[in-house]
Amino acid sequence: MLARDRKSQGVGPRTVSSSVRPATDATRVPDDASLLKMLYYMKLTRALETRIERKLYRQGKIVGGVYVGRGQEAISVGAAMHMRRGGGEDHDDIVSPSHRDMAVFLMQGVPPEKILAQYMGRKTGLTRGRDGNMHMGDLRHRLIAFVSHLGDSIPVAAGCALTFRMHGTDQVSFCFFGEGATSRGDWHEGLNFAAVLQLPVVFICNNNQYAYSTHVSRQMKVERVSDRARGYGMPGESKDGNDVLVVYDAIGRAVERARHGEGPTLLEFLTFRMTGHSAHDDAGYVPKVLFAEWERKDPIRRCEDDLKGRRLLDAGAVQAMESRIEGELDEAVAWAEAQPYPSPEECLTGVYHEQA
Amino acid sequence: MRNPGLSRSQLLEIHRFICLNRMVEDRLSALYRQGQIHGGLYSSLGQEGISVGTAYALAPEDLLAAMIRNIGSLLVRGVAPLTLFLQFLARGDSPTGGKDGTLHFDDLEKSLIGPISVLGTLIPVMTGAALAARMRGEDRVALTYIGDGGTSTGDFHEGLNLAAVLNLPLILVVENNGYAYSTPTHRQFAVESLAERGPAYGIASETVDGTDVLAVYAATRRAVERGRQGGGPTLVECRAFRRRGHAEHDDMRYVPKALLQAWEKRDPLDRLEEFLLDEGHATKKELRAVREGIGPSLDEAVRTALERPYPPPEETLRDVYHETE
Repeated sequence: MLARDRKSQGVGPRTVSSSVRPATDATRVPDDASLLKMLYYMKLTRALETRIERKLYRQGKIVGGVYVGRGQEAISVGAAMHMRRGGGEDHDDIVSPSHRDMAVFLMQGVPPEKILAQYMGRKTGLTRGRDGNMHMGDLRHRLIAFVSHLGDSIPVAAGCALTFRMHGTDQVSFCFFGEGATSRGDWHEGLNFAAVLQLPVVFICNNNQYAYSTHVSRQMKVERVSDRARGYGMPGESKDGNDVLVVYDAIGRAVERARHGEGPTLLEFLTFRMTGHSAHDDAGYVPKVLFAEWERKDPIRRCEDDLKGRRLLDAGAVQAMESRIEGELDEAVAWAEAQPYPSPEECLTGVYHEQA
Repeated sequence: MRNPGLSRSQLLEIHRFICLNRMVEDRLSALYRQGQIHGGLYSSLGQEGISVGTAYALAPEDLLAAMIRNIGSLLVRGVAPLTLFLQFLARGDSPTGGKDGTLHFDDLEKSLIGPISVLGTLIPVMTGAALAARMRGEDRVALTYIGDGGTSTGDFHEGLNLAAVLNLPLILVVENNGYAYSTPTHRQFAVESLAERGPAYGIASETVDGTDVLAVYAATRRAVERGRQGGGPTLVECRAFRRRGHAEHDDMRYVPKALLQAWEKRDPLDRLEEFLLDEGHATKKELRAVREGIGPSLDEAVRTALERPYPPPEETLRDVYHETE
């Protein structure tokens, strides 16, 4: 019955390849140092996640599941470039990352070894071994801990923005989620609330076309997540999420609007989940041809080619960057593996609020 | 107002239902003030055209879920005024046996699904009802109501999105009556019209004047046809005004007087009567006779209901939980 309905509507699996705009769409291009920084963090994220998902997890060293953002790194990196940091509580922006935004953690200042310790359940991980994987946060780095129930972080991000409004600052709340989360009631409540109060939130959707095994055509009847923006009375845009310059540009404009009191924006970045839902999922339900197609649009190689075209680096420099990253990660893994697990008697500390 | 192709007898039937709706609620209001009503009382004064116009556009087997301001929908579906009085007076032989009040009851034989007090939650229920009907191969659309306030709930979003994705024949009537309890619409949403939510789900939507029962009927007919032909859900925003407090106990001092007065001039019953007179469908005398005919029957129903006993204490727990044989 359902399959027939979909067929009659002509909405079988669809791709976004035909309509994504070219890189030239970007109007604000960052300076050379920023361009190199973006490439570095995309590569660092990819290398770190590859170690976690394809080495440490398979070696049985990871406690719990592993969810990576392979193929989606440009979204987290392009967005994190605009996060204001290092200026204290009344200055810094706040971020609610999704489980596929590790780059945001790195760029907000969480070192790779801390992330590795987290994944290995060690005492020196961000949750001190009490939770695993991306279920972490650190307010010193202005990172709101990821809420496992997808969609729940949207009203939280809106609430943070309301605090900024009440304090009269020009801080911005960054909120990340996937296209699957947009079907959640919390998502609706959070966006509507932010729109009514014109709160400084940038809503960032990484539309990677699969919510676990549910294709986006079974998730929503609209073509674009950004089609929902009008229903809230906020601006919305859909952009190529595999072009870090396009992401940088679109986020930059949304952040500017938010800082100037012009309210929230819903940005959708079209991309693809180049892996299973998590490390245990072989994604057998994803047509192979889609992986091949999106492999050609890999955001890291595109950025690298662009930077080579700008003569900011050559093959040798790329290699140097990669070996530097591998060296850093070797050290980080060694450090994390040497960290102790929490002792059984501290099981409950830090779980509930403790009075001084 | 324009006649969307209804016969004279249909127009007069609609008129009779609006009169009945208003007169039943007038009597309920009097009973509330006499301390006879158990629980709250939520008036639909000024919104009767929405309940009557939408319910009148459905076939008897279509699934209908009224909310607390849709007594008119139940009357159109054939619920007797006596049943309603028994329910509000919490008598033992009311639909809920005196265990719940207001319109919190269902009647599956009449294809009526009961309201859920938590606003918005009925929408996914009706999406599910429409899905069940389709899976059984039944040609039934599902219609329910939500206020402007209920559109901000997560359930609204989840229910409507699922209906859109599955292309179900759900008709969601949004009664935009200006206030959600004391919250005005500009504190509820940042769009001009709630019909703008339709494209956000990829479904059809339109806004109609909720004080024009014929426009409401016509919009609902369009939605019903769409649903029956496989065109999926429709969101119909009906604009009217809540001319009483949120409930009988609320003096709504937060509503500007001028606003109220402006909407009193757009009374759905007055407008329909004016139309019927102008178009020569009825005389003033005939219209007055309708009310004069309804009055005594309602007085009789109230008297009968008041004489019925409350449920005995030992009945308290019966029908509350599922009982196995």
